[in-house]
Amino acid sequence: MFDTVEAFYRPGTVREALRLLQNGKNRARVVAGGTDLVVEADQSIRFLIDITHAGLSYIRRKGKACVIGATTTMATLENSPAIRALADGILARAAATCGSVQIRNMATLGGNLANGSPAADTAAALLALDAEVVLAEARGRRKIPLTAFYSGLRKTAPGKALIVEVAIPALPRGGRWSFQKLGRTESDISLVNAAAGLQLDSQGRAKWVRIALGAVAPTPIRAVNAEKLLVGRKVDQSTLAEVCDEVAREVRPITDVRASAEYRRDMCRVLVRRALEECAAGTGCSL
Amino acid sequence: MKTMEVRLNVNGEAKQWTIAPGDLLLDVLRRQGYFGVKRGCEAGECGACTVLVDGKPINSCLMFAAQAEGSDVLTIEGVAHGDTLDPIQEAFLDHGAAQCGFCTPAMILNAKALLDQKPHPSEEEVREALAGTYCRCTGFRKPVEAVLAAASRAGRKPARREAAR
Repeated sequence: MFDTVEAFYRPGTVREALRLLQNGKNRARVVAGGTDLVVEADQSIRFLIDITHAGLSYIRRKGKACVIGATTTMATLENSPAIRALADGILARAAATCGSVQIRNMATLGGNLANGSPAADTAAALLALDAEVVLAEARGRRKIPLTAFYSGLRKTAPGKALIVEVAIPALPRGGRWSFQKLGRTESDISLVNAAAGLQLDSQGRAKWVRIALGAVAPTPIRAVNAEKLLVGRKVDQSTLAEVCDEVAREVRPITDVRASAEYRRDMCRVLVRRALEECAAGTGCSL
Repeated sequence: MKTMEVRLNVNGEAKQWTIAPGDLLLDVLRRQGYFGVKRGCEAGECGACTVLVDGKPINSCLMFAAQAEGSDVLTIEGVAHGDTLDPIQEAFLDHGAAQCGFCTPAMILNAKALLDQKPHPSEEEVREALAGTYCRCTGFRKPVEAVLAAASRAGRKPARREAAR
């Protein structure tokens, strides 16, 4: 299937991986888990660069922030005590739904983002965590917000850069999070996924809100208008209804073999409501 | 065509094979005679090509053979000990958990990876472990029962039985 491949490299460092990537020009592709790359079966590939030995499999706490190496697998994330404890474990929960056991043993966090799928389960969770993506290039490293990483359907910012790390900053104190997914089965591709984060002020009003969705626009998105609508208000059923209506206006779902746009739009309402209700319940707020 | 060498352990035996850099592990294993590794969907959906790499189940149709360099690979051919079947294989026989048999190697390898990590899993954990392997004939009830039975037998020495039965 990959008869055109002339060389398979296993660089031991990021520097070496970048050099190989540069030398390979447009004919080189990065391999991590391979679960998307192999299915894509791109016949123009001449050089494969396996980055799973380049020291990018790690989960580290940095003060109140957390950094995750790009080749950390979904299985590692879902089983990591640090990731399960972070933000109500939404990233662990999202990782646990990314395909079968076999897929999750191979698929990586960096790959889930690099593939650029609007349905990437970890992307919605990471958007609700204000995650940033660390990119390495020959001239150095730069960090960009995940919101700036996606530039269109299956288009991502990196260009010739390599995703080396995902950084989750210190999160709001007392914040609560939720991840919700709708698929035919738990591990199937999402028809819609949603993640939410909520911090209340001392009066019980929403102070910090994150609402992120996947599979309902060309890229994973944050519903920023809906977030703004909730900030400063008490979280009650009528406010949630308004917020969910705003979410339904903000999303741009398509009709495909899996679901109609109309159904997806309705499910955005349902999942965001469930997510915010779960967050609110976590803060001790009764609806 | 360009070639390269890959060194790995398969079922406990050290191997060095000449491969093409774009070869998939599934193709290389079958070329080398490990026909228990089944070619199914070739897209990571059906799980029939499952093998254990360093103890973890993966879809060999999605892994480049070069990625297995230095790894321990276990296929169904390496699960029995001579003529003595693994307790999971025994349990599959006892529970009639195989019909056409195409998914059986993958079911057993996934079950083995689970039980090696967690000798007494819940039914839900067993279902989760088998969820990435599609059976299109008998279904999943009997395989789930078989894995649970194998788990409850764990620690007991398996009875001798002809592997070819």
